[in-house]
Amino acid sequence: MRRAALLLAASLAAGAAIAQPIAFDAAERARILSHGPWPMAWSPDPSNRVSGRPAAVALGERLFFDTRLSGNGLVSCAGCHRPKQHWSDGHARAIGHAEADRNTPTIANLRHSRWFGWDGAADNLWAQSLRPLLDPREMSFSIAALARLVRSEPAFDCRYRAAFGRSVPADDEQVALDAAKALAAFQETIVTGRTSFDDFRDALARGDATAMARYPAAAQRGLKLFVGRAQCSVCHGGPLFTNGEFAEIGVGHFVRPGVVDPGRHDGIRKLKASPYNLLGRWNDDRSRGTATGTRHVAAEHRNFGEFKVPGLRNVAETAPYMHDGSVATLREAVRHYSELDPDRVHSDGGTLLKPLKLADAEIDDLVAFLRTLTEPPAPFARRELTEPRCD
Amino acid sequence: MRPVPAMLCAALVALAGTAHAACGDALGAGTLVAASPRFDVAFRPDPAPIAVSKHFALDVVVCAKSGAAATGLGVDAHMPAHRHGMNYRPSVAARGGDRYRVEGLLLHMPGAWEFRFDVRTAQGSERVSLGVEIP
Repeated sequence: MRRAALLLAASLAAGAAIAQPIAFDAAERARILSHGPWPMAWSPDPSNRVSGRPAAVALGERLFFDTRLSGNGLVSCAGCHRPKQHWSDGHARAIGHAEADRNTPTIANLRHSRWFGWDGAADNLWAQSLRPLLDPREMSFSIAALARLVRSEPAFDCRYRAAFGRSVPADDEQVALDAAKALAAFQETIVTGRTSFDDFRDALARGDATAMARYPAAAQRGLKLFVGRAQCSVCHGGPLFTNGEFAEIGVGHFVRPGVVDPGRHDGIRKLKASPYNLLGRWNDDRSRGTATGTRHVAAEHRNFGEFKVPGLRNVAETAPYMHDGSVATLREAVRHYSELDPDRVHSDGGTLLKPLKLADAEIDDLVAFLRTLTEPPAPFARRELTEPRCD
Repeated sequence: MRPVPAMLCAALVALAGTAHAACGDALGAGTLVAASPRFDVAFRPDPAPIAVSKHFALDVVVCAKSGAAATGLGVDAHMPAHRHGMNYRPSVAARGGDRYRVEGLLLHMPGAWEFRFDVRTAQGSERVSLGVEIP
């Protein structure tokens, strides 16, 4: 650390971009380094036998963008998870066949998730991919209709055979689960790019003060708050900037007057009841080594009103925020933690969340840091994959 | 009890080995020892060291210093400063003699955690705790 600080000071003396070196102590430095490296190593999902298989990715991509996967033929997965909006939709709450209760989260960087959805009601990406298809307010489709479509559409049928190595089976549920696994295989390929934070983090790791000095001073100050006094990284930890778990942060519980969203508490109930969880027969990992969390998660009273801690990569591009989309801007989101009312936090006595009482300049710095988690503009383009010859 | 940095497990092995030479030696490198007047509980994370928000298991040896031997074991972990525990309920399997295998633990935040071992005997239960610091 001391060496890095000296190098940074030397760089500044040589006329580098920032005016004042930001000193990070050993704990802050370790915490910063824990947010990388990026990208993370990728490996196939053992619960999905076609994870990483190009033909499955190709099938999943076609399914993802096809509005025929909905009851009215007008809604596709991409209708809410829009590539040009960083796989979100900009609405406070998702709008499919009707308005849903929760905000549309981005689907980038999902391969490394343990739980899926704001309440973690799914423990795998293929089950999570099936959920909105069957929700009457989202895509309002059905297992039977999905199976029928895969069988009847030559472009799907051909790619199914290439991905799964067999003809489309007669069992509708089997076809639907396979289609969901292809959708998962596609979504697993959506990984955000490197950011200026990643460049700073790697420069810090190698003690490269010249490269560190390219990172804006405001972002460095915000980063110091993030890993230090504000304790953001306690929950928004690791390369994904999330611990993958759930928290209650004092956002309102009511979906509409008289109706409460119980969050994680109900998510655990749904998870345990789901035939598509990792303890069930649809998990392709016969060892069930992927099911440790599902086997041991247990609903507690404090889970009521908890929602998944979202990752923060590209966070500046995915407004509005919170599970219900009730916070319009990144600055407001930071201000929420600055001014939150501890009495509104429903917990069993936890003392982690306290109002940070940040100065306006500190809020500016945290926002400046969060903006550096944005990858450079790289519009998604439908790719020509190594597809099977189907057309 | 002051938390033990998890990264210093290797150093603690030596300390624990000095103070508790008879308990947990078979578990190997990375073993920690929690102590109470009647019991030592030696435990080794698998994998080690414990990583924040990653599932791990514990291999545990319960050693009675005097009196009745253990008849069972309960295991949990808490963050005293935050007054919350884990999001997971670990399962404990007896492995014969004084050995146990605990599955399904996950410490979802960095900071000071406390492992709590409830050692059951014919006369009741006794809690044996050790603090660890998760970086």
